Amino acid sequence: MSARSLQRRLAFQQELAIPQKLARLPGWIILLIWTAAVLLPLYILVVSCFKTTAEIYDNRLGLPQSWALDNFVRAWTRADLGHNFINSLVVTGGAVVLTIVVSAMAAYPLSRYKLGWNGIMLGLFLSGIMLPIRLASVELFTLMRTLGLLDSLTGLILVYSAIRIPFAVFIFANFMRVLPAELDEAARMDGAGEARILFQIVLPMVKPAVSIVAIFTAIAVWNDFFFPLIFIFDDRYKTVPLAISVFVGQFRTDWGLVFASLAISMAPILIMYCLLARQIREGVGAGGGMK
Amino acid sequence: MIKPRRTTSLQRTQQRMAVLFILPALAVYGLFVLYPLLMSLWGSFFTWKGLRMQEFAGLANFTRLFAFPSGARLYGALWHNIAWFFGIMVLQNGLGLLFAWLLFLRGRGAALFQSVFFFPAVLSPVIVGALWRLLLAPAGIIEWALNGLGLHQGRLTVLGNSHTALGMLIAVDAWNWMGLPVLIYTAGLRQISPQVFEAAKLDGAGNARMLYAIALPLLMPALGTLTTLSFINTFNQFDIVYVMQGVQGNPSYSTDTLVTYFYRLAFGAEGAVGITDIGLALALGTMLFLILSIGTLLMLRFFDKRTVEL
Repeated sequence: MSARSLQRRLAFQQELAIPQKLARLPGWIILLIWTAAVLLPLYILVVSCFKTTAEIYDNRLGLPQSWALDNFVRAWTRADLGHNFINSLVVTGGAVVLTIVVSAMAAYPLSRYKLGWNGIMLGLFLSGIMLPIRLASVELFTLMRTLGLLDSLTGLILVYSAIRIPFAVFIFANFMRVLPAELDEAARMDGAGEARILFQIVLPMVKPAVSIVAIFTAIAVWNDFFFPLIFIFDDRYKTVPLAISVFVGQFRTDWGLVFASLAISMAPILIMYCLLARQIREGVGAGGGMK
Repeated sequence: MIKPRRTTSLQRTQQRMAVLFILPALAVYGLFVLYPLLMSLWGSFFTWKGLRMQEFAGLANFTRLFAFPSGARLYGALWHNIAWFFGIMVLQNGLGLLFAWLLFLRGRGAALFQSVFFFPAVLSPVIVGALWRLLLAPAGIIEWALNGLGLHQGRLTVLGNSHTALGMLIAVDAWNWMGLPVLIYTAGLRQISPQVFEAAKLDGAGNARMLYAIALPLLMPALGTLTTLSFINTFNQFDIVYVMQGVQGNPSYSTDTLVTYFYRLAFGAEGAVGITDIGLALALGTMLFLILSIGTLLMLRFFDKRTVEL
């Protein structure tokens, strides 16, 4: 947006602001109601983590009597959420790295070489953004069994990367396409190989793309529940969302424990969100490329 | 433009390097996405014994899918998905437009509200579903609050009641994703030149009229994106139902969706537990694939035609 139009917008908004202050009250109330609708459940989640089940019934809205970590300890050890947590970290980390490396490698020639078949190949990748892969889960299950990838974190990493590659190639190709051609030409003159040009020159220039791909891949993989549900049977390899879905039934009466498990499982995403809220908002606003 | 016939050595190297560079991504994507998807479509025309493909059956799986007893499940689930889609269009994409417009008019503080509104969208639907299941449970906090306010008496059983359960799940899904339309509409509104609104104001248009007559037509691309995304997500709906109501779509299949039905057919929870019907599952998968691709294409075309250029 140009400086002039920004100025004009500011003027426009200020001009609106003065005579209409009172008329704006209902709007503010609507916005605050939804803010409460979002924050109240989360507030209840947080305070309930520190309460015993009896206290949850007696003292609904108030702060807990003590900030005891008892529920967290029980969730982490007795319900063994700690184990699931590490599995989720491994799968998420693995899928993010694999997706970024192979997608950047594919996007580089597709966006910067004249191959004659760039369009077709890009189209093949991009068609995957919309494909409902869950519907292929029967054949995928058979394939995973044949490859010995059931009950395996490697299996999950491969499947998640495969699902996220189309979106990642799309983002990388869009960012790489607009870099000046002189960039790689100069490096080539200096005798740099293609791999070096990609990883040491081009990739550092498209850092925003790397962070968009990393953020959205991490969210999607950390949160996914469907694939662990069909590929993981052994408790040792269960990820957090799968474990949570079991807890909700298994510890139905132990509300403090369930609330604490929910809090633990959303903690990494919450931290990431607080640090990267602006990038996430901009990424979504620009592409709508979530899920 | 005439293409140069002469292949330089650079071009030859590039062809070779390109293949090398694209191969890893293509192999992973091809093996774990394209291959199983094509095999699933192909397999829906065969009979199955367990996970083993038997013989070509033409459209037999599809006729079985629509006939008794599968038909009742199928039409029930299809109807729930359609209701879910329209519910989300009104609750999420409708309310979201109101929120985005209010934030746009205010300007200041928009980013903070957007961040709060979007926060549930980064949470797993499993967490969201589990949280709301606890909140809405009998003797849960919402029952306590409603009883305290005198709006309700006795046990709150909205999730156990087949008349209200589906509506509750749709509302939870809207709560989960409300931030998405707010962000996409706001991005759309910011692209509209401020002069347009100034001119309308000079002509004496109120805020409501500006939204309806000016902003909305110019937001068609945003609305198109949201409608398409909501459509795809709705017809893939599984997690919230599974966590809140179980894979049968309780009570008495009143929250069953096409993907939960697919899951039961494919992985064995329909009828006798452990008995799968892969033929039916694949036929349902193919049908869903067609619904999703045709629906998405039609929507993109519909909104493309209605896009107004200034």
